[in-house]
Amino acid sequence: MSGSNAPLEARLRRILDERYHHRHPFNVRLHGGRCTKDEVRRWIRNRYYYQTRIPLKDGLILTKSEDREFRHGWIRRIYDHDGDDARAGGLELWLRLAEAAGLERAEVASLRNVLPGVKRACDAYVEFVASHDLLASVASSLTELSAGPFLGERAEAFRKHYGWIDEAGLAYFLSRTSQAPRDAAEGLAYVLAHAKTPADQERCTAALERKCEILWALLGGVEWGGRTPRLAPSALLRDEGAEAVVVLPERAVRISASGREILAACDGTRSVEAVAAALRARHPEGESVERDSYDFVERMEGLGVLRLEELGK
Amino acid sequence: MTEKERPVRDGEGEARAESRVWNLVAELTYRCPLRCPYCSNPVALRDFPETLAAADWARVFREAAALGAVHVGLTGGEPTTRRDLAEIVQSAAEAGLYTHLVTAGLPIDAAGLRALQAAGLRSVQVSVQDAEAAPSDAIAGTACFERKLAFAREVRGLGLPLTLNVVLHRRNLGRVRELIALARALDADRLELANTQYQGWALANRAALLPAREQLDAAAKIVAEERARAPRPELLFVLPDYFRDRPKPCMGGWARTHLVVTPDGRALPCHGAGELPLEFWNVHEKSLAECWRDAPGMNAFRGEGWMQEPCRSCPERARDFGGCRCQAFALAGDAAATDPACALSPRHALVSDAHGEPRSETWRYRAPA
Repeated sequence: MSGSNAPLEARLRRILDERYHHRHPFNVRLHGGRCTKDEVRRWIRNRYYYQTRIPLKDGLILTKSEDREFRHGWIRRIYDHDGDDARAGGLELWLRLAEAAGLERAEVASLRNVLPGVKRACDAYVEFVASHDLLASVASSLTELSAGPFLGERAEAFRKHYGWIDEAGLAYFLSRTSQAPRDAAEGLAYVLAHAKTPADQERCTAALERKCEILWALLGGVEWGGRTPRLAPSALLRDEGAEAVVVLPERAVRISASGREILAACDGTRSVEAVAAALRARHPEGESVERDSYDFVERMEGLGVLRLEELGK
Repeated sequence: MTEKERPVRDGEGEARAESRVWNLVAELTYRCPLRCPYCSNPVALRDFPETLAAADWARVFREAAALGAVHVGLTGGEPTTRRDLAEIVQSAAEAGLYTHLVTAGLPIDAAGLRALQAAGLRSVQVSVQDAEAAPSDAIAGTACFERKLAFAREVRGLGLPLTLNVVLHRRNLGRVRELIALARALDADRLELANTQYQGWALANRAALLPAREQLDAAAKIVAEERARAPRPELLFVLPDYFRDRPKPCMGGWARTHLVVTPDGRALPCHGAGELPLEFWNVHEKSLAECWRDAPGMNAFRGEGWMQEPCRSCPERARDFGGCRCQAFALAGDAAATDPACALSPRHALVSDAHGEPRSETWRYRAPA
């Protein structure tokens, strides 16, 4: 079957070669042992949100197929992630990775520290599958073609460079190195068999490109959490009671009392994540302190009030 | 947490009743070495002598800050024709205002700019008229393009934020891509691609300036492409009211957030309001607070009580405030009318008919002050 559709397979593989997130600077640093402990933890904490979206995405794909055989095969992916009575699934294994890296299971599972760019990217994947047909949805899953070898490399890199993470924590990567190639082969066979017209093939390559963009953006969202926000050099901060006004060239922005508190923590010594942690320390009972902090920093960056610098650059 | 962070400039989300001077526009002079045919100076300059001295401006700045102002645009005319500009900048900075200079880039030079920075200047807007010397100078009515660029480089060289401003019309809309490239080359923070507003001199020269819709659509497409290409500079491009079927939310509402003080001391809600048959007061005679709060002209169009139909019952009135009072007066002869730029206005033909009028290849330069 794939013989008749070899040009499509070649195109799909070329897209992965050029755009899969193995080329993203963060992954290059992660595998090269150049990430700090904080960065590895941030990546683990945030990437968990992606893991939680996978069963939802696969559930959506199931609803698109009239074919019992297809559903029977695809539903296995949900068990792979959610686990069953006999074995722990990908979600559980990821939480064990988080624990092995020194993170609190409950904190990671709460998703309260998920960075906004990461959340947007992962939600965009679910949204993509929700709004596309079965063929495009399956095509978007073909990043699995690159995942197998990539995850083997990742397990090696963690052993070599991040020895402070217990070997038991690496079970996720090891389980996926066998699952991903099987999933990928099935997905690829489906796409090659069903993408018959040039228009179908275009939709498949576009879907895979979109998925690569999403994975890429996810890592951008992780990097963002490590940047250091500070008041833009051109900004003038004026307090007005508990509130404030930030004046910029040709723009003024009103800051609420709670925003003022976050702004005070953006003093150029803390990462975005550390700003949220500082706010959490002051408001241990607050409902959405981290998310509010992230959203505020993101909004202020967009308005030019805050400038985010990269640590160590 | 509340969602109060937003640009004041847009006047969005503010309670309609709120009236606070956020931004003071200090028109320091009507003199200008340029003669652009879309100049927003009053058409009859001779009636308005320049009478506010630096000490008067210092008082205006203090009083504006007390009214809530956080920002002052030092403009004109050409503000750098004033020899006491550094003194004026210093008093604005001392009043706690964010000092923003709006200049053509001449006659000021590098030394003058350094003096202004030392006096507390925080940011600069420089205008060009086109992306190249010949057409830019043709609009300015004087050879000045290269000097403007040199000045813009000085601004960035001193680490000051730079806005590049270009007024767009049918003769330069085709060069938006080049203008963006120029702004990038100058390392500008913002590029204001400001479509001509057809008032004052620009209304008199409308036949020479009004573009075709296709020109605007093409320019908008280029702006969108360039925005996606790089985050800098920030690109401002708003379709002009003549092409939108809805009026602009002029000044964020009449006498609501912006206060203009003219070279002769009149306190106005916008730079064009002096042409309306309204009574405004003068800072030579009254405090700025009185001029702002109590002058009959200031209160003429505050809130919504003045509105006629179709504005009075329009769900969009809170967003666009009925449009521009000066345009309503200039075109419809009634400052309380719905802005004719609005397709809902019974006099919308005053604007829509302009698109079919013959264009002109010549214009009348602004007369020297």
